[in-house]
Formats: sequence, structure tokens, C-alpha cells
Amino acid sequence: MSTFLRYFLLILAAASFVYPFVWMLSASLSSESELGNLTLWPVGFTWANYVTVFSKIPLGRAFVNSVLVAVITTGLVLISGAMTGYALARLQFRGRNLIFYLIIFTMTLPFQITLIPNYITMVKLGWVDTYFALIVPFMLNSLSILLFRQAFMSLPQALIDAARLDGCGELRIIFQILFPNILPTVLTITILTFMGLWNEALWPLIVIRDEPTMTMPQLVTLFSVGGRADGQLTVKITAAVMLAIPIIILYLFFQRHFIRSMASSGLKD
Amino acid sequence: MSRVQLDHIAKAYGNGPRVIRDVNLDIQDKEFVVLVGPSGCGKSTLLRMIAGLEAITDGTLLIGDRRVNDVPPNERDIAMVFQNYALYPHMTVYENMAFGLKLRNMPKTEIKDRVTAAARLLEIENLLDRKPKDMSGGQRQRVAIGRAIVRNPQVFLFDEPLSNLDAKLRGQMRIELQKLHRDLQATMIYVTHDQIEAMTLGNRIVVLRNGDVQQFDTPITLYNQPVNRFVAGFIGTPPMNFLPGRLSGTGPLQFQSDQGAVTLDLSQSVHAPALASFRGHAVTLGIRAEHMSPVPVPGRSMPELTVQADAVEHTGNEALTYFHLDDQRFVARLPADLPLTFGQSFRLFWELDKCHFFDAETELAIR
Repeated sequence: MSTFLRYFLLILAAASFVYPFVWMLSASLSSESELGNLTLWPVGFTWANYVTVFSKIPLGRAFVNSVLVAVITTGLVLISGAMTGYALARLQFRGRNLIFYLIIFTMTLPFQITLIPNYITMVKLGWVDTYFALIVPFMLNSLSILLFRQAFMSLPQALIDAARLDGCGELRIIFQILFPNILPTVLTITILTFMGLWNEALWPLIVIRDEPTMTMPQLVTLFSVGGRADGQLTVKITAAVMLAIPIIILYLFFQRHFIRSMASSGLKD
Repeated sequence: MSRVQLDHIAKAYGNGPRVIRDVNLDIQDKEFVVLVGPSGCGKSTLLRMIAGLEAITDGTLLIGDRRVNDVPPNERDIAMVFQNYALYPHMTVYENMAFGLKLRNMPKTEIKDRVTAAARLLEIENLLDRKPKDMSGGQRQRVAIGRAIVRNPQVFLFDEPLSNLDAKLRGQMRIELQKLHRDLQATMIYVTHDQIEAMTLGNRIVVLRNGDVQQFDTPITLYNQPVNRFVAGFIGTPPMNFLPGRLSGTGPLQFQSDQGAVTLDLSQSVHAPALASFRGHAVTLGIRAEHMSPVPVPGRSMPELTVQADAVEHTGNEALTYFHLDDQRFVARLPADLPLTFGQSFRLFWELDKCHFFDAETELAIR
């Protein structure tokens, strides 16, 4: 295949992915009446849509909630995933493989199947409308366990032995000795978990009804479909832009790791 | 006092068979003991049991006068050097060496003094700020040894520390390890599968096979007086030559090989008294490559054989010459200037008194 054709196809593919985002950004800065133009440059440039969104919904608070939930949960996923992965990779105990296969099995279950049981659990625990409902169900993640287990298995046992002789306990071995040597895996898990949590709208819609506790995707979804946007498409699009901006900024900083994460996990969200 | 005593030590994984069986060793203070044996003989497992990295199934392990069976590795006052160095990749050389001391809450000044002293001893002072990935194998091995030295342990454990190095560097490091042992005056236990390493480093050597100690003695005793056929074949390069045969039942004491290629009159040899009680028994004759010569040594009993060279390996200072007796492959260490080529017949004189005889049934040496 000639270089020209290859570049042509790649540019075509890139444009088809990028176009909706650019148009969305352009539309959010255009007036409602110009929306049908589908141009890549704002027509009748205005900040009004952003002013409307901020005046109608507590987006700032929702942003803080989203950051809080995504950061804390990602941290917990890293801790619990590393500890479980280490146990499955390096500790000898009865039923170790059975537990591992059970964890893998849970990866095959769609989230919707566990939705109702999880909701009932939240109700019984009295966690509805609290951050616990947003954090606790996500703090143990089978994909992170799998990735950590594989990463820990790839490190030489002698590293762990040397740490034991130096006087390290198991936690110090995991977090001070092994963690720094599997940073690509840690970044992959961080990015995948953070993105998944950031974009999660369905679960918060079920367990949170109290507006000050809502996360951004939930608030934007409610705003868009709940009638508070007064049917104005540009305002809804603006809210969606606000939701996407943090991930886009993160992507710009961690572009290389994002790509590696997607490639190494073999997953597409 | 850093004596290490293994008293009826055994190891089994789960309900499986014992991989270490009833090992009894008394390693003296300041002694350099080498555990040697083929792959899977249990030497590394035994070392890891001494280190506390493997649980002891049975028996008692004493370091100094303290029973340490249930003492965690970091409290056994030992240090270990691993085959693949096991340096922490994300730490500098200094941090690697200082890490264990920091965990013991040692004052920073003392840590610095110890690391600097060890670095000076090993001539790695210029590497202290480097990370392991920026160093050669030999340099990493020095750092690994340095990490052990700074702890000033009662006992040093080495798990095949030179096997990842090339032959030249291995030779250098062997000499440095000997010097280190002299300088530190510490008890050292060293695992290797390389019998040359074992012979050159050890004050005493433990030969292991299938989890059993075959012989525990000085290198020269192992070489000259192996207790069984396994030790005789394992120690020495090239390995000892073996020839199965039988002793005569009556008449003059003779050894005859199974297929008749060799008949030796033993009646005047130093072996005669010991072999007398094995008359009529199947025995295996063993002879080392250097105990065969193209010319007889005056005054020694040296029977002559004519053999045909299968292959000749010239190493510069000698010619390792291969030939067959019965269906056994033999090798003789002959002078390099001997004009021998493939297929050529030549005379060979055996130093009869240097031969070894093993009971074919038990494989034990007959003395």
C-alpha cells in the first residue's frame, strides 16, 4: 500500500473520530439557531450556553464529587487490587486457583446483572444518597486484580526474598519494593479505573437522588433528559463538553499511557 | 560465634515426598562451606531453609547457639546473595545497600559509614549513585555482595552467585570471594552446581544428591577418597572414568571388565586387602583422566592397554583424548605434544594404585 493511500485512510479514520468532538465544542459556543450548520467553527460565537449550564445546575459541586469519588475509588482499587493480586501471585494457600478463577468469572457478568442485588445491599446498609454507595461497590475490581497478579508473577521471586531478608513485611514488599517496578501496570489500572468511574452514570442515577451528592455524568444526564435544559440542544451539548473536558485534559498529559493502557488491557470502553 | 548446625533437617512440600532427607551438618565458625550437586538435588532448598525463606519440616537448625527454625529471615542475623542479584531496580546502589539498615532504624551516619566501607572494600565507590540497570553483571554482583556485607551478619549465604557471569569474570570473582572470606572472617555457605567453584572456594564441601548428603569433607578428600561412585563422578573435570566388571572368585585377585576388554592383576596393588572380601562380586573400577599416561612411570605398578582414539581435544597445555573400553567412554589427560589423531591406536599405562573400586550393588567405595 502506498504511503499516500495509507495516510489518506488514517486521516479519514482520525477525522471521523475527531469530527463529532470538534463539532460538539463548536456547537457549545454557538447560538441555538446556528446548530444545524454542522460547522467546525462556532457561528454566532457566544458563552451563553456555559452561563446557562452553570446557572441551572450545580456543576462545580458535581465536579468536586466526581473527582472525589474517582480519585478515592481509584486509590482503593490500586490498594485492594495490588494486595489481592499479590496474594494470588505469590502466597501459597489452599484454594488459591479456585479464588482466582472465581474472580475471572465475575468479569464475564454484565454490570446490569448485579445492579439490583447491589442496590438492595446499599438500601439495607443505609448508604443510598451517600458517597459510600458511589465508592464501596467499585473498590474491588477484577480486572485490576488480574493485571496486578500477572505483573507480580513476572517479577523474580528473589526480589521478594531479598526484601524479606531486609526485614520487609508483606505490605512493604507490595508497595515499596514491587509497586515501583510495575509502574506501567499501575498506570494502566489507574487510567482504566479512573475513566470508567468518571463516565459512570447508570449506578449514580440509581443510588443518588440528593443533588449535592451527584456526580457530573449523573447531573449532566439528568439535566439533558430531565427537562431543565428547556429543550435547548446547545445547552445540553455544553454540559456534555463540561463532562468530557477533564478526561481530555488528562489524555493530553498521559497520552502515551492511555494508548498503552488500552492496548495492554485489550479492552474498549 | 557463627557456627551453623543442621540436625536431622528435612523438608517436604505439603504431603509430598521429602526433598531434603535427614541432613546433618556442623558448619564451623568462619568456615567456607560449599553445597554442591546436580540440578534438583536440594542444595538451593537447603540454603533457603537456612535463610528462613523455606519452612523446615523436621529437625533443628542452630545459628550460633540459637534455635532459629521459627525465626523470621531478617532476625536470623544472616545475609544472602542471590543468583540474579535481586537488587531493587528502582533504587540506587547506595539505597540498595542501605535499605535493610534503614528498616532496622540504624542512625543515618552509621548507615553511611557502613555503606562507604563496604563500597571501598568491593571497589564500587564510584557506582553508589547508579541504578542497577546502568551497571554490568559483574558490578551488580559486587553490589549484591555489598548489600550483604553492610549488614555485618553472622553468616553469609550465597545462592549460585556467579552463574550469570561469563567464564572470565567468574574466575575473577572466585578469587575475590576467597579474599573476601579472608578479610571478613565470617561463616559462608555457598551453593553451586559448578564443582570447580566448589573445589576452589570451599574449606569443606557438601555433595548432595536427591536431598541426601553424600559426603561432607575437604575438597582434596572428596577428590582422592570419594565415598561412593556418585561423588567420584561428580567431583573432578573431566569426570572419573568408570568400567563395570567383576573380581575373580578364586586364584590371583583380578579385575575383569564385563565385556573382557580389560583384565587387571590386583594381587600386588594397594587395593588388594580391601578387595579381598569382594571376591566374585560385581564391582566398578574408576580411574581419573590424569592417572593414565602414554609412558610408564618408573617404580610404579602400571598395567598397559592399547586403545584407539575416538577424539582428541587440544586445550593448549594438554590433550583430552577420548576412547572406548567395552562400551564405556573413557577420557585420558595426555601431554599436548603427543601426536595423536582420530582413529589412531596408542599405548596407555594405568596407575593402578590410583584406581578406585566401588561395590556395583551399593555404589559405595571399597577401601
